[in-house]
Amino acid sequence: MRVRVGEERWSGRVIDLRGVRERCGVEFDATRVAEAVRSDHAESEAIAIDCSDPGPVHEHVGLIRSGMDVQLRAALAAAARSRGRIAPQADELAAVRERLDALDAPEIDLRDARRRVADASDEEAALRERVATLQGRVQALRDVSGKASEHGGTVEAERAVETKRAVESELTEATRRLSEVETERIAAEQALARARERAAANRERRRERLRLQDRADNLRRAAREHLAGTVREPFEDAREEAPAEVTEASVGEALAVARVAELDAPVVLGRDVEAFGSVDVAARWLDAPVICP
Amino acid sequence: MLLVVTYSQAARQTLRNVCNGHEETVVQRFGRAALLEATHLGAFLALRLRAKHAGDVQVERTAPFNEFSDAPEAVRAAATAYEDREHPSTSYAKFAVGTDHPAPESMRDAEL
Repeated sequence: MRVRVGEERWSGRVIDLRGVRERCGVEFDATRVAEAVRSDHAESEAIAIDCSDPGPVHEHVGLIRSGMDVQLRAALAAAARSRGRIAPQADELAAVRERLDALDAPEIDLRDARRRVADASDEEAALRERVATLQGRVQALRDVSGKASEHGGTVEAERAVETKRAVESELTEATRRLSEVETERIAAEQALARARERAAANRERRRERLRLQDRADNLRRAAREHLAGTVREPFEDAREEAPAEVTEASVGEALAVARVAELDAPVVLGRDVEAFGSVDVAARWLDAPVICP
Repeated sequence: MLLVVTYSQAARQTLRNVCNGHEETVVQRFGRAALLEATHLGAFLALRLRAKHAGDVQVERTAPFNEFSDAPEAVRAAATAYEDREHPSTSYAKFAVGTDHPAPESMRDAEL
């Protein structure tokens, strides 16, 4: 790997950056160095590291320092993968993923269709009520005008006939509107029924997608479990073999995972490097390139 | 009641959270679905889920089933008769042959 801090450059499998901060006048910490390992060689940055691409193991033990958190099973599975181990679930998982990629369920939204039905139904109910009221009034006015003409009261009779005509024409108009709205309500219901049928087919795809996602999750878990198991023994050995000066459990685990893993990209090793005496010893123990920030 | 069915892992998780937080409104839970009370709160919870997860949440309103008004006499009689059959291994399709009971296909196409 090649490392540049400010204007200074190093290359090799083991790079010790202790004391460089003061010399180069560049402020950096272990996190910054670990980021530089991950990022592509960026000439504009104060720190640039050109090395092999870090693999999944680096997400777990790419930066080893006090207070770290190790998700042991996932880390061990990644270590096993780095050693070329393949889980028996791999083929099925790939097939499930392929089916998932091929499954698309376009957005469904029946909201407008539902609103149209509700609006049309409301309007229809209101109009139906109005028609019934008008019918009642027409009937009553017919009685009144009939009685008025019987009794020969011409003024009242004329007025009653006039009112009756006005209400009758209102009734005609309301009846015509009711028939229109009824047609609209039926059309809206049919449209909603069609939309629901389309939604049912769409949901079938979503259901299948959910089933496949659950299946993929289970396979992933089983694969992780299996892979972790394949390196459990060398991991336990490595943990035993770690320098006694390493007292923090998570650091001990991380070191052992890194030792078990096949690492091309450098491990950023914080103060715990002192437990090994030197960075070179640490790199030999880990069998990995090491940067000491 | 309101039947809420979810169709994604995220929607299913939200439904679980909602059910845990509102046990009094949840009538029944079934994995990725739940029956909620037909109350304003039930509707609110269902709509909240739909607002969050759109097409991954289906909401239906259920109605009580009264076989005496919803299902024809022939279907009721067929169900009772079939449960009283002599041989438990007889399928309904076979059982119905040569009787007045409706065939499965005719029932399939007849809506309630």
